[in-house]
Amino acid sequence: MSLPRTINGTVIDDTFAEAFPMKATRLVITAHTPIWARHAANALAGFATSVIGCGCEAGIERDWHADETPDGRPGVSVLLFAVSTKELAKQLERRVGQCVLTCPTTAVYAGIDAATSAAPLSDDAGIGSRLRFFGDGWQIAKMIDDKRYWRVPVMDGEFLCADTVPTVKAVGGGNLLLLGEHIDATLAATEAAVAAMRKLQNVILPFPGGIVRSGSKVGSKYAGATASTNDAFCPTLIGLSAKSELTADVGCVLEIVIDGLTEADVGAAMTAGIAAATALGRPAGVVRISAGNYGGKLGPYHFPLHRLSEGIEGSRTP
Amino acid sequence: MSTTTLRVKTPPGFEIDGSPLAPDALAAMPLATLERFGLPAGGETVAIGDLFDVSRSETGSNAGDPAPTLVIEGQCEWLLRIGAGMKRGTLRVLGTAGDYAGAQMRGGTLAIEGDAGHFAACEMRGGRLSIAGNCGDFAAAARAGEMEGMTGGTLAIGGNAGERLADRMRRGLVTVGGNAGAFAASRLVAGTICVAGQVGDHYGYGMRRGTLVLAHAPAALPATFVAGGRGFDVFWALLVKSLSREAAPFSRLAPDKLPRRYAGDLAVDGRGEILIVA
Repeated sequence: MSLPRTINGTVIDDTFAEAFPMKATRLVITAHTPIWARHAANALAGFATSVIGCGCEAGIERDWHADETPDGRPGVSVLLFAVSTKELAKQLERRVGQCVLTCPTTAVYAGIDAATSAAPLSDDAGIGSRLRFFGDGWQIAKMIDDKRYWRVPVMDGEFLCADTVPTVKAVGGGNLLLLGEHIDATLAATEAAVAAMRKLQNVILPFPGGIVRSGSKVGSKYAGATASTNDAFCPTLIGLSAKSELTADVGCVLEIVIDGLTEADVGAAMTAGIAAATALGRPAGVVRISAGNYGGKLGPYHFPLHRLSEGIEGSRTP
Repeated sequence: MSTTTLRVKTPPGFEIDGSPLAPDALAAMPLATLERFGLPAGGETVAIGDLFDVSRSETGSNAGDPAPTLVIEGQCEWLLRIGAGMKRGTLRVLGTAGDYAGAQMRGGTLAIEGDAGHFAACEMRGGRLSIAGNCGDFAAAARAGEMEGMTGGTLAIGGNAGERLADRMRRGLVTVGGNAGAFAASRLVAGTICVAGQVGDHYGYGMRRGTLVLAHAPAALPATFVAGGRGFDVFWALLVKSLSREAAPFSRLAPDKLPRRYAGDLAVDGRGEILIVA
């Protein structure tokens, strides 16, 4: 057991986040203007907060300048995570088909470079190879620089789409729990953490605004429910739940879930989040920072908060 | 890395199969063995040492390129199938090459600094073949009886191409700095062909899919092509970006200036396109 650590008065729990292997890919969506790329990306990444009920977890990674994209137009990259390549391919087909193919002026490219990917490569997932049938026979395959694209005629011209995209073995479910005195303090600290984490590449925070208030535990008293509320961190259950981990000075807990292409990416995002939240510190009402795990027996990736917060300014270990 | 050089002594007066002259295979041979190595010539074999002066240099200049280099110096129109089936390395011909240069080539670089014969890059699968001069008929095409011509890689012709350029080609890129003879892009299944100069009669005959980019407006369009087709801006931007690595005028195409598009050949599949830049 290591010594308790505080950063600017905020206690960092001696615990760890537990994360799981997932399959992921990056799509680069371009459009005539940045707004339309955003529209498509927002729709694509909508209703993709948790694999429990959405099939995948997805989020916007960053905006791309026109000189970075394959076709010289502004773009947005989206990361998608699922429990298997098969499920990821299913979600890609549905989401690109309904949200990008339909969106004016958009085109879709693979955003993972197989030659330089830091994450181990997995199988390719088809997008254009499946969506091409919308072309009703008018579609054309085109190889350009050893990449195969589909040109599907649509009413504003052509929908150009990568035939397949590489998928990688990624990491999903990294998390931080921010415990504050009240909703204002907790929300402000969590928003600051989200803003800092979203500056990093290769990670997404899939929940609305990057924040989730309904942290869950595995199982339920009710048969058939695979997950239920995380009563150990519910402030209304202090004194009621035998598993409560909250003290009387905690009035609100919010969670940030992080999916990343590699373990290092998730760890870096968690460090950035801890640093941003603790920069506000205890005076701003940030009581503790903790993390969710399952005892370390379910997920192979462990992110100890003390190790991740080493070197953050204001850190004290008495 | 080693560079093996074969300098022509005297042209033999008959045709010889040069396909065994693969850069990696020759680099692995001691010079004495290499000089005794026989090249097929009809029913006979001719020793490399009888045809060429052989030398080898070990230089550090290729330190960044681990693949071996083979240089053939001299006029070699009698040497057929240079680089045929080649998979890796660099083969430079400082002179002319015979028929079937780069046939069924799969990888590496074959650079011919003079002219090449017929069937250059026929049924090519990958790699890059550049011909500084002119080439004969059926470049990037299929041999008689074969279903598919070029299916990958890049063929860059600096001068003129003969007839039936890219006949039955299915995939890959062909650029022609000069003119192309009759029946260019005939029976094209897919792929991209760019011609800087003029094209001969019956270009695009039986073209099913694929793209024929013409830098000069032809005198007449095939009757089985239909004008029109807009909204291909994204594809054009990708193609222009890809062509920016090739020679002018293709390297100077503007992504925001759409060419005129003609679709056809309506006598067959009709999903091919002729893009006229001028």
